[in-house]
Amino acid sequence: MNDILLKIEGLRASVEDKEILKGVDLVIRKGEIHAVMGPNGAGKSTLSAVLAGKPQFTVTAGSIEFLGQDLLAMSPEERAWAGIFLSFQYPVEIPGVTITNFMKTAVNAHRAGKGLEPLKAGDFLKLMREKMAFVQMKPEFAKREVNVGFSGGEKKRNEIFQMAMLDPTLAILDETDSGLDVDALRIVANGVNALHTPEKAAIVITHYQRLLDYIVPDVVHVLKDGKIVKTAGKELVAEIEEKGYDNL
Amino acid sequence: MEEIIRNKEYRLYILDGHGTCCSDDPRPVPSALTHPLRGGAMSSPQSSSMTIPKHIVVERDACIDMVLLVMPGVSCDVKLDVRLAGEGAEANIYGAYVCGSQERVKISVDMHHDLPHCNSRQLFKGIAGGTSRVDFYGKIIVAQDAQRTEAYQENHNILLTDGAKVDTKPQLEIYADDVKCSHGATIGRLNEEEQFYMRSRGISLEDAKVLQMISFIAPVLENIPEPDREAVAAQFEDAIRNIVRNI
Repeated sequence: MNDILLKIEGLRASVEDKEILKGVDLVIRKGEIHAVMGPNGAGKSTLSAVLAGKPQFTVTAGSIEFLGQDLLAMSPEERAWAGIFLSFQYPVEIPGVTITNFMKTAVNAHRAGKGLEPLKAGDFLKLMREKMAFVQMKPEFAKREVNVGFSGGEKKRNEIFQMAMLDPTLAILDETDSGLDVDALRIVANGVNALHTPEKAAIVITHYQRLLDYIVPDVVHVLKDGKIVKTAGKELVAEIEEKGYDNL
Repeated sequence: MEEIIRNKEYRLYILDGHGTCCSDDPRPVPSALTHPLRGGAMSSPQSSSMTIPKHIVVERDACIDMVLLVMPGVSCDVKLDVRLAGEGAEANIYGAYVCGSQERVKISVDMHHDLPHCNSRQLFKGIAGGTSRVDFYGKIIVAQDAQRTEAYQENHNILLTDGAKVDTKPQLEIYADDVKCSHGATIGRLNEEEQFYMRSRGISLEDAKVLQMISFIAPVLENIPEPDREAVAAQFEDAIRNIVRNI
């Protein structure tokens, strides 16, 4: 089938010689939202970092295909150009770099990757304003330094704002619900839902049911000790909530 | 050479070209200070005989704002001796240096607070790559009479390579008791978490490093009034990009 977006086979990954992922298999098709749940230390964030190409992680075995391309052969920026976006659990502060400057560089890098000219200043600012409003970010945030002094909710909204700007094919949301109050959670979830189309897919990594009340998954996986130990439909979320991870 | 500041003065010194500059040297600094900026002339005209003064005396209620920029390829030995010699005198000295090859950059600042109610601020930021060597020596001397002094000094550095070396010696000598003084010095590397975050948004590693380095230097360049600032910032960006490409 050519509707496969992402295909992970036998993926093993280590950080500083410690094996975290111990053989992960996962297939994601266009239009699907997958939830990856699991206890702390199961390897959820490692999976998202490996997908985005974080240099500190070493893939020791297995393969990842994204739209038929060998993802593991690509740099983090090439993966972004190809349509992968990672919403960070802990968004990084970049002192001295304003959101405007950061996003302008990012958007134009994506455009250059597609052989397009840089966006005109006026068009870029219009796009910024539109997407900031989309996640209810105040316009003055454009001048703020990236994530510096942001609250937990502001950081996560900034992630979804960036996602809206870059319009990825596969969004990976790493613990996007952590540190969010209900209002911020709703804004973030609505943003993710609004960006979802039948051509795209999302991986929602979370510890709790809460976010999945708002972003309803098609498939739910449980990651435990570096392996996917169970895969089912959305009914699995309630089962986990009831029984906990230990009894699966 | 001594310069006496009686009003509010602003000085911008740019050491570029591939010469060596030394503030002890009685000869004019070769080309360095007069090199026209790309994109337009300097708003503050500087004659070819202009050199960085070794001694600066700031008189009562006067103020000197100085920005000293050392471009890649330039080795220099700059010694500044600033004396706040009248009540209410103020000195703000900002400096940035970017080294990508075998430069030897020495900067030393003595900031003398002789009388009460004087303020001084020093901010020096620099990047050392290649096998360059940077020595920063800064001293704030607050005399016994200089009550109500406010004096701050910061020196921050980024090392790009294992071959580069930075030595920083901030010092305070305080003989008065009613003062606010601080100094700080850091030597670090480019943050890899920031780089990965930027790359995950499609910013190339090269652009990410350039952004990091420009934003590191920016607090110094912010003290240059327009229209010079834009031209200087563009010059730094080009220079930094060149260095990143050759790391």
